[in-house]
Amino acid sequence: MDLEDYRTAFMVVSLALILIVVFPAVSLVVPFPSGVERFSELWVLGPNHMAEDYPFNVTVNEEYHVFVGVGNHMGYSARYMVCVKFRNRTQPLPNMLNSKSSPLSPLYEFQAFVADGATWEAPVTFAFLEVSRFDNSCLIRRMSINDVVFWVDSPSSWDSENNGFYYQLFFELWLYNVTSQSFQFHNRFVGIWLNVTAS
Amino acid sequence: MPAWRGFFVFALLFVLALSVLLIEGCVAGAEEAALAIERAEGVVVSGYQIVLEAEQARANISRLLARLNEAGELLALARVSYRVGDFDGAVLFAELCGEIVDGVKVDALGLRNLAVEEAGHRFWWAIIGSIVGVSIIVFLSFLSWFIFKGRYYRRVLEMRPEVVSGGS
Repeated sequence: MDLEDYRTAFMVVSLALILIVVFPAVSLVVPFPSGVERFSELWVLGPNHMAEDYPFNVTVNEEYHVFVGVGNHMGYSARYMVCVKFRNRTQPLPNMLNSKSSPLSPLYEFQAFVADGATWEAPVTFAFLEVSRFDNSCLIRRMSINDVVFWVDSPSSWDSENNGFYYQLFFELWLYNVTSQSFQFHNRFVGIWLNVTAS
Repeated sequence: MPAWRGFFVFALLFVLALSVLLIEGCVAGAEEAALAIERAEGVVVSGYQIVLEAEQARANISRLLARLNEAGELLALARVSYRVGDFDGAVLFAELCGEIVDGVKVDALGLRNLAVEEAGHRFWWAIIGSIVGVSIIVFLSFLSWFIFKGRYYRRVLEMRPEVVSGGS
């Protein structure tokens, strides 16, 4: 190595040290991308706080319990809304390809402010209060969610393949957008299938 | 017959008037509830924005978030009550929500200002630290370079030429 090579090496080492010393001050002004994926979680757990024993065969005037939860990995404290919707097999679910929520009106809703990296959970108790059964059709007139009574008037025909009158209770996740000052569907939903067995 | 007819007309008018009053009362109740919810939503949004600013300034907002959660829960209940036609309940929940967020806003503003002040101090200390650090590195680099260069020349000058025999 000649002297010129040594000089270059000295300059490189000095520059590296300068960059290390300057980094804390620069990081206060320039936001560096973290490279971490930003996302939210949405889940439903059964009555024992486990992903099992979900209510399935349901009857009138019986209370059923589940838990709905949200996990925040968005990098900031996020404001969420969880919409509780109820459908029969013919009514539409959210369209995940177009990021469109289900056009059905929400029955119940939750709102939560969740810190980054934290989770939020709430109990959901539901019951069917008024159900009419005919030969091969079923009509749920009223149901309650967390002690609030809703008129749903939702019919369902007999599913001969699966032997039952099937409905779905599902939960949509909405995220508050500070820029547009409105909730936007966060392209996540979970649901549980219910078979109305007797009235 | 005329007396019976008169009673019938009076009863019909009474029922009509009662219906109009009830419908008007219901509409007024719905409007009041919608306004209360709108107000509460506005208060929650402004409170949330201040809390986010405090968070960006690196303040500890965990307690504020817990209270915002209470407010959010009440706002959701107000909206659900409105949906099922319980307008009195909707107004009550919306007003309770507004009261909680008003408190949150005051605390969040204080926290945000404190955090912004601390962030300013941190920034200036970082700038001063960087300037001092860079100066020391530049000084030490030059110093060590000159020392190294001196030793390098000395070593080169002390070298003796070697005669290699057997060349063509």
